[in-house]
Amino acid sequence: MLNQHANRRMFLGRSVSSVGTGLGTAALADLFAGDAVSDVRRFPGALPRAKRVIYLCQSGAPSQLDLFDEKPELGRRFGQELPDSIRRGQRLTTMTSAQKRFPVAPSVFRFRRHGRSGARVSELLPYTAGVCDELCFVRSMFTEAINHDPAITLLQTGTQQAGRPSFGAWLSYGLGSQNEALPGFVALTSWSLGGGQPLYDRLWGNGFLPTRHQGVRFRGVGDPVLFLSNPAGIDRRLRRQLLDDVAELNRLKLDRFGDPEIATRMAQYELAFRMQTSVPELADFSDEPRHVLDLYGPEVSRRGSYAANCLLARRLSERGVRFVQLFHRGWDQHNNLPRDIRSLCRATDQPSAALISDLKQRGLLDETLVVWAGEFGRTVYSQGELTSSNYGRDHHPRCFTIWMAGGGIRAGLTYGRTDDFSYNVVENAVHVHDLNATLLHCLGIDHRRLTFKYQGRHHRLTDVHGRVVKPLLA
Amino acid sequence: MASRRRGPARPGWPAVAMVVLSVLMIGTADAAEVDFDREIRPLLAENCFQCHGGDATARQADLRLDQQAGVVANVTAGRPARSRLFARITSNDPERRMPPPKSGHTLSAKQIETIRLWIVGGAGWSEHWAFRPVVRPEVPAPTEANKEGVIRNPIDQFVIARRADRGLPSSQPSGPERLIRRVTLDLTGLPPRPAEVEAVVTDFHPGWYERLVDRLLASPRLGEHLARHWLDLARYADTDGYQDDEPRVMWRWRDWVIEAINHNKPFDEFTIEQLAGDLLPGARAEQILATGFNRNNRTNGEGGSIAEEFRVEYIVDRLDTLATTWMGLTLSCARCHDHKYDPISQREFFRLFAFFNNVPEKGTYRRNSPPLLKVPTRATAAELSEIEREESRLPPGDSRRKSLEARRKKLLAQVPSTMVLSEGPPRETFLLIRGRYDQRGEKVTAGVPRAFPDLAANQPRNRLGLARWLVDRRHPLTSRVAVNRLWQQFFGRGLVETPEDFGVQGSRPSHPLLLDWLAAEFQANGWDVKRLLRVIVCSHTYRQSSRLRSIDRRLDPDNRWLARSPRLRLSAEMIRDQALWVSGLLVEEVGGASVKPYQPAGLWKEIAGGASGAYREGYRADRGSGLYRRSLYTFWRRTIPPPTMATFDAPSRENCTVRRGRTNTPLQALALMNDTIFVEAARQLAVSVADRAGGNRQIERAFRLVLGRRPRTAELAILVRGFRRSQASFRSRPEAARRLLALEKFTPAADPSNVASRAALLAACHVILNLDEAVTRE
Repeated sequence: MLNQHANRRMFLGRSVSSVGTGLGTAALADLFAGDAVSDVRRFPGALPRAKRVIYLCQSGAPSQLDLFDEKPELGRRFGQELPDSIRRGQRLTTMTSAQKRFPVAPSVFRFRRHGRSGARVSELLPYTAGVCDELCFVRSMFTEAINHDPAITLLQTGTQQAGRPSFGAWLSYGLGSQNEALPGFVALTSWSLGGGQPLYDRLWGNGFLPTRHQGVRFRGVGDPVLFLSNPAGIDRRLRRQLLDDVAELNRLKLDRFGDPEIATRMAQYELAFRMQTSVPELADFSDEPRHVLDLYGPEVSRRGSYAANCLLARRLSERGVRFVQLFHRGWDQHNNLPRDIRSLCRATDQPSAALISDLKQRGLLDETLVVWAGEFGRTVYSQGELTSSNYGRDHHPRCFTIWMAGGGIRAGLTYGRTDDFSYNVVENAVHVHDLNATLLHCLGIDHRRLTFKYQGRHHRLTDVHGRVVKPLLA
Repeated sequence: MASRRRGPARPGWPAVAMVVLSVLMIGTADAAEVDFDREIRPLLAENCFQCHGGDATARQADLRLDQQAGVVANVTAGRPARSRLFARITSNDPERRMPPPKSGHTLSAKQIETIRLWIVGGAGWSEHWAFRPVVRPEVPAPTEANKEGVIRNPIDQFVIARRADRGLPSSQPSGPERLIRRVTLDLTGLPPRPAEVEAVVTDFHPGWYERLVDRLLASPRLGEHLARHWLDLARYADTDGYQDDEPRVMWRWRDWVIEAINHNKPFDEFTIEQLAGDLLPGARAEQILATGFNRNNRTNGEGGSIAEEFRVEYIVDRLDTLATTWMGLTLSCARCHDHKYDPISQREFFRLFAFFNNVPEKGTYRRNSPPLLKVPTRATAAELSEIEREESRLPPGDSRRKSLEARRKKLLAQVPSTMVLSEGPPRETFLLIRGRYDQRGEKVTAGVPRAFPDLAANQPRNRLGLARWLVDRRHPLTSRVAVNRLWQQFFGRGLVETPEDFGVQGSRPSHPLLLDWLAAEFQANGWDVKRLLRVIVCSHTYRQSSRLRSIDRRLDPDNRWLARSPRLRLSAEMIRDQALWVSGLLVEEVGGASVKPYQPAGLWKEIAGGASGAYREGYRADRGSGLYRRSLYTFWRRTIPPPTMATFDAPSRENCTVRRGRTNTPLQALALMNDTIFVEAARQLAVSVADRAGGNRQIERAFRLVLGRRPRTAELAILVRGFRRSQASFRSRPEAARRLLALEKFTPAADPSNVASRAALLAACHVILNLDEAVTRE
């Protein structure tokens, strides 16, 4: 190990001096940019409260009505038609627009006050309720899209169309990497109930930003990072030797051709070699004490589960990965919602809460921003048959609930209000762009200044919209 | 001149700014040289057009600075102090000073001075360069002595003239070995065979290079290689792109592109057939097939989708693709509001929309959906006519007719049905307020933006008329945009660095005269693509060395002035194809259904399993030849593109892409180190050189196969030393050697008598494939 380290030093020193003109230095500086340098350089005067993000994306859109947005009055309206004064002719998906009736389906789940903050949380989420004083609930989120693909694309990239950079890519571009041996942006995926809505590479894509800002998917099967393992028969020692040969030959080339890209490639091979140890170490939980594993629940030992991904997210975050994006699939409950939402909550409630407690215990919560959000909400009226114990809910972009915690966010706050049917926002509406502007603000970034010129204009994560929602800030 | 610059402060002239300016003035261009289009319009666009540009709804004070009238009315030629525009940008009154702070824009002292000099120099106005007609420029007289053939054709004269006062001499010509590899890679996507290199090096007749180029231009591999660029523009893929992203069949269109390039279909026909082949009088099946170009857009079949919402999206996508591909314009900005920079109003956007509004297509669908066309491949067509011939020879009632009929039926059943355009009953078109599908404004008819030449009077007001308008000689953009993109393919960067944006906010050409000369030549020669390619690759500018000299490093590290050839990392497809080719694994077969090469297990299932029946089994790699076809035939699933392709900057094909990145990342290193195909290629490369006597010869041969040149002594020494070391390592671990050689893949693993040597040779080959030079065109 020591030797390798010395090798690397020498290697870096040589490549920089031989290029000499600063070209290679620039390329290398960019590769190994420390956070302090890039933070200050790019956003002078900014006061970041958070250094990194863990985004718990609940794909498929969880029902706000059954989890966070309590509507006790609805019990009396069971099965009644949704009033036109509430629906106001808003568009519906074609899955329910042809329904003859839109019967109100009150949640079958009970809500209770929790913590000092008195947040009201459904019985489905006992663990989340237990950490509610750390959380900031926004019940007045809304979005524009009514179908999953455009909506989750909007949530993650700021537009419904494919082709724009994802949040993590913007952050990697804006703040650079904090860790030499790990990518700046990692995506993790898991699912319940066979999956449901698919995910797309674009959700962690780089769009028009350089490819190195794209999220690297850490996988739950096979190599945690694609092509990480050496082929059978090539061990680490031989790999080192082969890479030394590659480096020596590349050095001859660099000396003759002077192209700084050669120096960069040499550095990237070294980084790849280091990832071959750093990534497996990261995915190996054997150094975690029992009580930490227990915190995340029994599923933590199953690789690729949401619980394992939450713990992995903490480990990545701890090592300076800027943006860890979790996706959990399975929330798209058009029918049998009461049954299915229970399994989803069982899979995600304890690990989500554990992540908050774990970060808190380690003193990391203050500098980490945690976001829990789906792509839209669900309708108060039942899709399909409504019975006393069963119903389904269709897509509902007009309101939904998310929570945030950590760096820069006001803990213990419940923000925004919807009408008696959890159908329209009546107070403090927050658009996806506002959410993103607020998150960037916590990271010390003015969302109007994080731009990239493409197709003749300066693009931003928040397009031409977004405002920082000040009341959400600590 | 100098005295005027240092003249006394004029009334109203801010004193502070004056101090700054007087310092800046030294070395500033003369007033007469301030060109409005080059220096002033970009300033105004960036800082003023937001509120004083084309967008009527955002316009303040009824002032337009994007048009000549608005500019002229606000400046007094020669008199900055009497120019309203100048007064406002220099005002000390924060209420009056432009641009206002809340706009987020500011003009620097230097920019203000440029504007002042422009006014002093007469405040001339000129049209945006890209919207002026293409006029063939005079070829400049040579200024660099024609030594070592640095001037081979007019391209070199333009390039050298542009460098005239930069003190940057052209580079030496590349050595033949390197040049052969470069041009072969650039034209066919594959490296040359050592024998091809050898033949040239040993038999050096004048004109060898031109003959080589002609041979490459005639190779069917040219079409396969160049098609890839077109497929990026055409957002070609094998899936529908939304939600479950189900498979569709569009490869017949892809094969049309390959064939069109190989047959050197003139670019105007190439354009017309893809945009409106179905509307050509007596349209042939192949011409209708070409319109598949505009069925490559993503389509949404997600449950609950509103059909009209997505039908509108498809048309917007088609317009966006058309404008980017042929005009280099960011047209879709004008979907929601008048374009803020370029002369396209929202109304004009929807007039273009009208051209595509009559395609009889559903708004929500998965996979393939009408209009559809069944066109047999050439092979099938030949077989069908053979059957017909046989049938015609048989007497009626002959029993053999039955079996022929069965064969025909079977063949016809295999003919793929592919999506194309057709013209349905006319729909009314409305301006959509804020671009929203359900918010109709005024009714509009089909037409082209006023800033460009009219549709010719004798042309129909439909897609065919529109396509012909694009390739009309009077159109200022099409030829410039096309030659710029071709240039980019060979130099890594266009003469206009933003091939997707020739508008006011795009980059200006580094070599405007060369761009126009190429565009004029292209048109004058009947849009002959191969002829243009030949001119480019036969220039000295293309043929010179790519070595970075100290003078390059000092004066032009970015190579904007082309005094050397660029060194460029190969594209994703080329990297994989090269590995297949040099190892003898490549299965060469032009066209056909897309194939599924190796992919790490579980990649699809993890993020998209279950929901769609089409993918219940996950990704099933082909067996046999499907593993070894050129990468352009790889099954392209848009939401989960082939991972190694994506790692090496291939786009997702979700939308039109003109320019790929060329990054350099650790994930690329991991792919080259460990992706099965590169290990297998190393193994087969080792097999193919194993018959040479001795490690040295074997390694030397492998080196030449990959890099097209002999290794230097020092290089060979490193490789041989590594080989011996690996050999020793494998001798002590024969089991490891066996496992490395076995690979558990489909090419039969030979069982050499000396596994340690074979494994060591594999390792040496793997090192060669991982070299920077191996993945670089230099």
